[in-house]
Amino acid sequence: MFPYMRGASFTMKLHCFDKKFFNSSPLLVPVQPPSRTETHFWYVLPDEVKSEALLRKYRELLPQCEEKKVDSMRGDELRKGALLARALVRTTIARYQINTQVSPRSLEFTTNIHGKPEVRWHHSDDWLPPPLHFNISHTSSLVACGVTMDSPIGIDVEEKQRAIKNNVLSFVRRYFSRHEVEFLSSILDPAVQRQEFLKLWTLKEAYVKALGRGFSASPFNTFAIRFGPAKEGSFHLSGNSNSEACCKESEILVESLDSSTHDTSTWQFALLELAGSHYASICRRKDIAPEGKASVPMKLKVWKTIPLVEDKIVSGTDSAVIIGGLS
Amino acid sequence: MAAVSATCVRFGTSLNQSAKLNQIAGTSTSFKLVAIGWTRTGFPSLRTSHFRVSCAAKPETVQKVCDIVRKQLALPAETELTPASKFSELGADSLDTVEIVMELEEAFSISVEEESSQNITSVQEAADLIDILVQKKSEA
Repeated sequence: MFPYMRGASFTMKLHCFDKKFFNSSPLLVPVQPPSRTETHFWYVLPDEVKSEALLRKYRELLPQCEEKKVDSMRGDELRKGALLARALVRTTIARYQINTQVSPRSLEFTTNIHGKPEVRWHHSDDWLPPPLHFNISHTSSLVACGVTMDSPIGIDVEEKQRAIKNNVLSFVRRYFSRHEVEFLSSILDPAVQRQEFLKLWTLKEAYVKALGRGFSASPFNTFAIRFGPAKEGSFHLSGNSNSEACCKESEILVESLDSSTHDTSTWQFALLELAGSHYASICRRKDIAPEGKASVPMKLKVWKTIPLVEDKIVSGTDSAVIIGGLS
Repeated sequence: MAAVSATCVRFGTSLNQSAKLNQIAGTSTSFKLVAIGWTRTGFPSLRTSHFRVSCAAKPETVQKVCDIVRKQLALPAETELTPASKFSELGADSLDTVEIVMELEEAFSISVEEESSQNITSVQEAADLIDILVQKKSEA
């Protein structure tokens, strides 16, 4: 009945509530954790989660402090989005079965010194926690969680049609690097310019989140995202008539503009169009292959999911179109 | 850094109030400062700070910040906006916050350093920083 449970000690160590949880939710299907070269990306569309009973189940997964935070959001839709984000990260990490004692509710989270959330594993003498990393991003219409093994990760999602209240060029002159200002200034169609701005924004956000030092520690004008020519053997783009201006199959690079010490050549990016409606950026460290060979391109697996209900792998389909990066 | 202004006269009276409050609350730390101000909307704005003079921002500043935030986040009319309102709780993501900061810069003719922008997480914090920057500008 529970093929993923290993050993009798598992049931005995389970908290009574968690035991009841697993008995009533056989759909916490385990997933193989990502390898070092893989990146996992999970997303939920809040509009597809309508069941009040399901939302109550998600609430039951949260410790009191997280529930309080969810309830502090001002508005039903915002509360739902916050709840989904917590449910997504808890169920996803639990499904990796890193440790048989982990359930969605028992997971503990903490933050690094800059405030970036991370899992707080319980160490023991005979068990070292795996270097599993995650990062969450959400808009009102999509909640996402990226997971990697042994690499920091940052993700960011934005609606393609999101309105920018300020003038785009004024905004980028104030906050972005000169190269990026020049790039966006060269795009004359305002609609395309806005979309290219959003792509750049998500890439820059993903990078800063991967660095894990917060927005203020890595001001956006101290680094530039550049689109390079497509590398040989780069990921093949499945036909997408909406592909805009620049980054069809391009390599995505980050260049540091200040005297900071971090090595920008070790980061790799992926830029996706999700569900036809959102841009999603992923940033993680390259896995440097041994013997100094060229680094391995990012292997990306994308799932559309409803926690505790179902998931569907969508990488390679129209729901998850790669529009840049990966190499 | 307390400048002579109406704001700090208010600060003067609130010191007495804070002593009273501390008694009521039973707090033992004598260094805790409670600055109390009243905004135009009638919501009390309460901030505690340690070892730091804290003058509540001018009500007009708070109101202007509220207006900009409400517009940027397209908040429904029924969403109550108070000085304590945190941007994240109102559904602002990082792009919204930066857009808000930029609009505040333009509205008040000030410049907010990136390092300070992370300290702007609520209406009150924005208003307080704005008043400090406007004050600095007028002194320059």
